[in-house]
Amino acid sequence: MTHPGIASPEQSRTGSMPRESADPSPSGSTVLSVRSAVYSYGSELALEGANVSLGRGEILAITGPSGSGKSTLMLVAAGVLKPTAGQVTYNDRIISNENERQRSRLRRSDFGILFQFGQLVPELTAVENVALPLLLSGVKRAKARAAATAWLDRFDVADLATSRPPEMSGGQSQRVAAARALVTEPTVLFADEPTGALDTVSGELVMSEIVRVAREAGTSIMLITHSAKVAAYGDREIVVRDGRTTESMIDLEATGTNA
Amino acid sequence: MSSPSLATSLRLAIAGSRSDRMRIALTAIGAFATTVLFCLAASVAFIGEASGPYRFDVLNQPGLRPGVIISMLALTIPTLVFVGQCSRFGAPSRDRRLARLRMAGAQPSEVARIVALETGLASLLGSLAGAGTFFIAKRQFSTEHVATITTQTELGGGGIQIDEVTTTVRLLPTDVTFTAWSIVLLVAVVPLLATMFSSIALRKVIVSPFGVARTQPTAPPTVLPAVLFGAGTLALVGWSTISEALDLHRRALPIVVIVSFCFFIMIVAGLITGGGSIAAAAGHFIAPRTDRPSLLIAGRRLISAPYTSARATTSVLLAVFIGSAVQATREAFLVGTDPTDTFYADTFDLLNVVLIAAIVLSAASLLVTTTEAVVERRRNLAALTAAGTPRSTLARSLLAETLIPLVPSVLLAATAGVLSARGLFGTRVETWDPSTGRSTWLDVHVPLVETATLAVGAIIVCAVVSSVSFGALQRSVDVSELRTAA
Repeated sequence: MTHPGIASPEQSRTGSMPRESADPSPSGSTVLSVRSAVYSYGSELALEGANVSLGRGEILAITGPSGSGKSTLMLVAAGVLKPTAGQVTYNDRIISNENERQRSRLRRSDFGILFQFGQLVPELTAVENVALPLLLSGVKRAKARAAATAWLDRFDVADLATSRPPEMSGGQSQRVAAARALVTEPTVLFADEPTGALDTVSGELVMSEIVRVAREAGTSIMLITHSAKVAAYGDREIVVRDGRTTESMIDLEATGTNA
Repeated sequence: MSSPSLATSLRLAIAGSRSDRMRIALTAIGAFATTVLFCLAASVAFIGEASGPYRFDVLNQPGLRPGVIISMLALTIPTLVFVGQCSRFGAPSRDRRLARLRMAGAQPSEVARIVALETGLASLLGSLAGAGTFFIAKRQFSTEHVATITTQTELGGGGIQIDEVTTTVRLLPTDVTFTAWSIVLLVAVVPLLATMFSSIALRKVIVSPFGVARTQPTAPPTVLPAVLFGAGTLALVGWSTISEALDLHRRALPIVVIVSFCFFIMIVAGLITGGGSIAAAAGHFIAPRTDRPSLLIAGRRLISAPYTSARATTSVLLAVFIGSAVQATREAFLVGTDPTDTFYADTFDLLNVVLIAAIVLSAASLLVTTTEAVVERRRNLAALTAAGTPRSTLARSLLAETLIPLVPSVLLAATAGVLSARGLFGTRVETWDPSTGRSTWLDVHVPLVETATLAVGAIIVCAVVSSVSFGALQRSVDVSELRTAA
């Protein structure tokens, strides 16, 4: 596994040649793993025995065509969805057996989730949006605001502290959303197409900042994207097709972790 | 370029999603209820010399019928508000659909025509069904029963002879005849009002081919509502002084009624326009101070959209204001009357039933508004839940958004209602005491329990109705909403 600091696409990847992956364990200690996960939306099967493991501090890119099940895989891994079969383990804790309340508490304390758009509360200011997860965890207002301001500063949007999301550009909103996802200093950040709604330049700026901040904090990232350029920020890439996971040959050869 | 045919406009009007169909259905239900109430009021208005007698004595007294009609018409206010709210249910997605029609070449007038057709058609169907149901029920309930009723005969010298007579009576005025034009008017009035409302509401929305923009309301006024409310209440509290100063007791009754009604209108206008101000002020007070995420979200929502919850509870406030005034009036009327004569007490009880119905109907519009607010924010709510925000926090936020501005508004409405009625009818009543053979003055009690029951009851009804929208919240935080465009 490589940690190139402020990642650039060229540093981490050269291409992708998918192959079937039975146990795609990364090197280093595993923080999160999904084993043989099955999930369906009604009669539509979205995951058909997907396997993913995420190492501590690792950035894992999950790619695949639209409708392949990559977002569902992320939601299952994050404990938002409960798999109909299979197992999700976080730090030796089988979260797929837990109820919604327990999983919700875990998501609040240990996970950060970043979507393509729409996750900020439009009526709240930027600093209140970022402070929200801390307030939910019982942190006092003054302390939560101070921490939120510091995180806004890390993403270079401290000057927008009192602005509301409708007053911000897409890139600014996404930086605030990233600050909110990381303010609780989560162990794992789940990012579903975090730059999907942004132009190329803004997308690259936001992505490199997320990667920089996550590297500094030692946060693992599960990065869902259909963009090869964004996937290149990852240390490793998993490809999802028809609800099944495969892993890039070139990455495996580069890391030498899987025979 | 010629306009699309009526059939095409109709097809476009009814072609939509589940929320569009829900809007059409709710508009029709609201129109149904309003038309039934209009028909009931009209049937009382059409009672003539040859009509009756009826089981409810209040219908037999020509002098009291206007009060019954006014009560019926007052009940149509919350149902009309309900129709108005329903015609905007799911409107954001409809407005986006209209923007796509504009992109496809539709003119602004054609888009407005589609909206008018949708609301007009839905309410016309509801009105026809309401009128039809009323006339079927009128025929079904036209049977006569034997009952003992009280009759009053005016005697020479100002006396009244009261007799108890056993005769055949009807429960309701099912024997009155409706003229053809009155039926047409009854069926047409709700669709016309609903169409007018939806057209006015659409004026706040600029539907361009590139999307939908809403004209932002200015910050709610603070001085004008306070002045209207305060001046109106003070004028009625000091009614005896004003009456003397303007020499009103020497003037004809209609002038007195008009002057006092103007003060009532001032209070009502203050309450209505002040609702948004109270919501915004409460939001500004709470949001920067609270540690609770639910209150923070609610407070910021109140600042951002102060009229949303205020609009939904307007008719509840009106009901509380009128209801409190009725309770105080009841005290003034009953304090000096013979306890065995239950006529006034029965009449006031009937008014209380009307008030309860008005509050429940008003709460129905609140349900539409809160559900709509949840559905509109479903993607954001789903994202918050996915990130670990407990649903209970979101539910509490919704409840707080309704109750925070409602509680002070209800207290103001109830206080103003009681004070106004006490100002008008006095705090002491002169009555004849047969035991002493002299007139005595009796204190009119403040109806604290009744008013508190009404105010608290209204708040509880609103809280319960608001909680029903949590059902929509459960569905809206579903992860599938994360795939919905913002």
